[in-house]
Amino acid sequence: MKKMTLGAILGLALMSGSALAASAWTGGDDLPTSPLACDGTAGASAAMPYDGGSPTNPPDRKGKKITVVDIPKLIGIGYFNATTKGILDAAAELGNVDAKTDGPTKANIDEQITFIDNYITSGVDGILFAANDPVAIAPVLKKALEKGINVVGYDANATPDARQWFVNQAQFNGIAKAMVDNMAAEIGEEGSFAIVTSTFTTPNQARWIAEMGAYAAACHPKMKWLETVEAQEDNNLSFNQATTLINKYGDELKGIFGMTSVATPASAEAVTQANKCGTIAVVGLATPNAMKPYVEKGCVKSVVLWNPVDLGYAAMHVLRAVADGTLVPGATSVKAGKLGDLQIINGSEILLGAPYVFTKDNIGQFDF
Amino acid sequence: MTASKLLRHETILAVLTIIALAVLASLSDKFFTAENLLNQGRLMSEVGLVALAMTFVIVTGGIDLSVGSILGLTAILLGVFWKNLGLPLPLAIAGALACGTFAGWVNGFIITRFSVPPLIATLATLALYRGLAEGISEARSVRGYPEWFYVFGQGEILGVPFQLWILGIATVVSAVILGLTPFGRATYAIGANETAARFSGIRVHATKLWIYTAAGFVSALAAVIFVSRVTTTRSDMGTGLELDVITGVVLGGTSIFGGRGTIIGTVLGLILIQALKNGLALSGVKGDGTIVVIGLVLIGAILIGAMFDKNRGG
Amino acid sequence: MSSVSAGASRSTLQRFLGGYGQEIVVLLSIVALFIVVGFVNPRFLSDTNINSIFAGNAYIAIAAIGMSMIIIAGHIDVSVGAMIGVIATIAGTLAVAGYPVWIAWSVPILFSIVVSAGTGALVAYTRIPSIVVTLGMLSILKGGLISATDGAWISNMPPEFMIAQMRPFGIPSAVYFMVALTILAALFMRYTDFGRAIYAVGGNMEAARAAGINPERSVIGVFALHGLFTGVAGILFATQLQVIQSTVPPNLELTVITASVIGGVSILGGTGTVIGSTLAAILFACIGSALIFLNVSAYWLRAVLGLLILATVLADMARRRRAQ
Repeated sequence: MKKMTLGAILGLALMSGSALAASAWTGGDDLPTSPLACDGTAGASAAMPYDGGSPTNPPDRKGKKITVVDIPKLIGIGYFNATTKGILDAAAELGNVDAKTDGPTKANIDEQITFIDNYITSGVDGILFAANDPVAIAPVLKKALEKGINVVGYDANATPDARQWFVNQAQFNGIAKAMVDNMAAEIGEEGSFAIVTSTFTTPNQARWIAEMGAYAAACHPKMKWLETVEAQEDNNLSFNQATTLINKYGDELKGIFGMTSVATPASAEAVTQANKCGTIAVVGLATPNAMKPYVEKGCVKSVVLWNPVDLGYAAMHVLRAVADGTLVPGATSVKAGKLGDLQIINGSEILLGAPYVFTKDNIGQFDF
Repeated sequence: MTASKLLRHETILAVLTIIALAVLASLSDKFFTAENLLNQGRLMSEVGLVALAMTFVIVTGGIDLSVGSILGLTAILLGVFWKNLGLPLPLAIAGALACGTFAGWVNGFIITRFSVPPLIATLATLALYRGLAEGISEARSVRGYPEWFYVFGQGEILGVPFQLWILGIATVVSAVILGLTPFGRATYAIGANETAARFSGIRVHATKLWIYTAAGFVSALAAVIFVSRVTTTRSDMGTGLELDVITGVVLGGTSIFGGRGTIIGTVLGLILIQALKNGLALSGVKGDGTIVVIGLVLIGAILIGAMFDKNRGG
Repeated sequence: MSSVSAGASRSTLQRFLGGYGQEIVVLLSIVALFIVVGFVNPRFLSDTNINSIFAGNAYIAIAAIGMSMIIIAGHIDVSVGAMIGVIATIAGTLAVAGYPVWIAWSVPILFSIVVSAGTGALVAYTRIPSIVVTLGMLSILKGGLISATDGAWISNMPPEFMIAQMRPFGIPSAVYFMVALTILAALFMRYTDFGRAIYAVGGNMEAARAAGINPERSVIGVFALHGLFTGVAGILFATQLQVIQSTVPPNLELTVITASVIGGVSILGGTGTVIGSTLAAILFACIGSALIFLNVSAYWLRAVLGLLILATVLADMARRRRAQ
């Protein structure tokens, strides 16, 4: 027993040694960052040639009824329910689209690939997707293009040549700026904050965190980043993790960033149940409905998000435009129903707009 | 136990599978095409490979919950060996396979040397191996493999997906080993009664060690195919694989208490599940509906098997 | 830690170890963890942190009590996580629809008991292994839940519904439930005929029958009881936060089963206690919190957890070998 205990302790010590020696976990990725200027002046964006893919011998779909399947990262969370609503709204408005949403019950690359593969076989005209992994999804999307299917992404991109267009909800550096600026306004330039994110491997979250780090270093250099914790897309785990952070840092912790539509309300709940409303700020990405109770009570002041219903709506319109042949490589804007003309950036991305900040004054007007 | 009795569940399953295939083919004309069926074979290869080894594991009365984590760990190591350590890709593949096999051996070692029940031992290594994959990768993906590597997951030989050949060969080999060799008989004997097996001179520990090591090896092999198929590594690869594999194996009639089960049953079980997933999707049933149907079929098939054979151990 | 105290009073301890060996190991691990982490960061020992460790994970401990009974009876239930998701969704839906809270609490618990007893009946009379039946149930509950709800979140539940958030005498109510149910279940398993029948059935079904126990009825009974614990766990899970996700909580079944087996319940059936599983659930919660306090790189968190589980299991095996 002694030997065994000793061995176990030794193993643990070794492992915790390597764990502590490992580079501090920030949750960001290591891709190059491009922080915006502190005063928000937009940098000049160089025009890029079209870098998306194109379907092989697509049939003429102009004005004809098409069937479209939407395969989000996972089904059964508020965020993708909202994008689905937008897609169905747009399909109803267009009248000549038969759209449905189907997908895995957890954010799993293998299952998502299988779903797409099955719908390619069943012979759809268009595929809308939000990728769990930009590279892993590429082979199956290329296969769809080879079968003459129109492929448009939204929310989470794939490698550009594996799809035709990507509807970008907001640029990563724009989100990062909105998040950090709002946090700085609430906790001051010298406040300390922590981050609750989903998982290590979610590309969007990793990108936002990397951009937030770069922007904070440039524009709010005295803010202190305490740590980032992982909480899956799980309500209760997010709550527990946020509570642990509050307990660990005590008065040092001034703010929590929630990086997902699950983590942000759970962090707000943790702050509420710890009676720290007003002393710990919560800023994050979330849908307004989940945040209304906290915003109305004044516990949370700013929620950053684009409108996911609009995102789905725009994606459906883009797909229809591609199928009709009205959106072709080289275009600079695309018409998206009630949203008007959307700008095209980075070669093959359609920009939905700047991120939106929900506050006590306007959150009541939104229902998603 | 006579062969006819052993095959009873498999016969029922075969009939069920044929009925399912016929129904699904009538629901969608896109289902029963060579292209679709071969493509489905490609998609089920990873689960299929692991299920073959899992059949041996469960026949001995054991279980291996860590296969999905071994897959994830091997995938990460493959990327790290190649990209971070700069090994040539073939060497990196061999190294990753060796590590995955070693992970399986560790399972077997813990189980046989310390008499830890397999469920608990592999529950612990499920967390450990996944944790190592996350720690080693630090959430970074490795991409940009040379073109020739993609042949394992995306290539074809004579019009048949590459990995389907591997699965086919592995199926034949494992069916022969389990059905016709002394090793196979030892596997059944251990599952039927471990103490009796030991007294009749079977090297119980060695046999089990081989089987868990083999489970590690096929999980690693599945990892290489998977990475090649999706062209990237991620530390969450293979999450939940163990439940898919175990579902296929028990649907195939392998008793979770050990002592009975066949490779042909496992293959039929896998085909039935994959056909349902694909066929229902093609006929317009959504994913959540398909999950419900698979649950019902699992209980139903075992129930029918039990009704035909009142004497099976419970 | 454990070897030091073992040296102090060997004979009494050894006798005690015979009955509660694994429980002691787990308890000592918890104490050791509190001392070490409390030394590094005293805030770990603050009453708010201890409260949140206990309250945030009480539902896992309660589900693990039922799971322990199932495993002691020689069975297993891999659908417990899906069931908790379903219970939470039913409870939340009823509460929002304006039913009195006692209905919103009791109907889902009743549902859980009935479904679980049904599973038990299938297991008992058809002799299909419980892992197969519950694997099937897992699929059915998971798929059915998403089909029914489309994953729409439930919010705006009335405040009086939120039982897990109530704090009589400053202690979260979930903690009361955890302690009371653990004690009740431990007494029940030890001192009632039915409790002893559960051990007997798990030890040897035919021997149990010979001793005058009806094994089929016992199996159905223990599944129904497990349904009750799962139901209570589901209600606490549902009322912890202002929002119910109405999906299946990921990997919950693994956590619950791990808590049971680390707590000393033999997977082969027949031995173990429910106290151990509650302690193990608390240990996991402590580890999860401690790793953040100790600044263990989040990348390595799961590896450390896996190693800890392995160490606990190996220590237990070594202890048992010595005991023989």
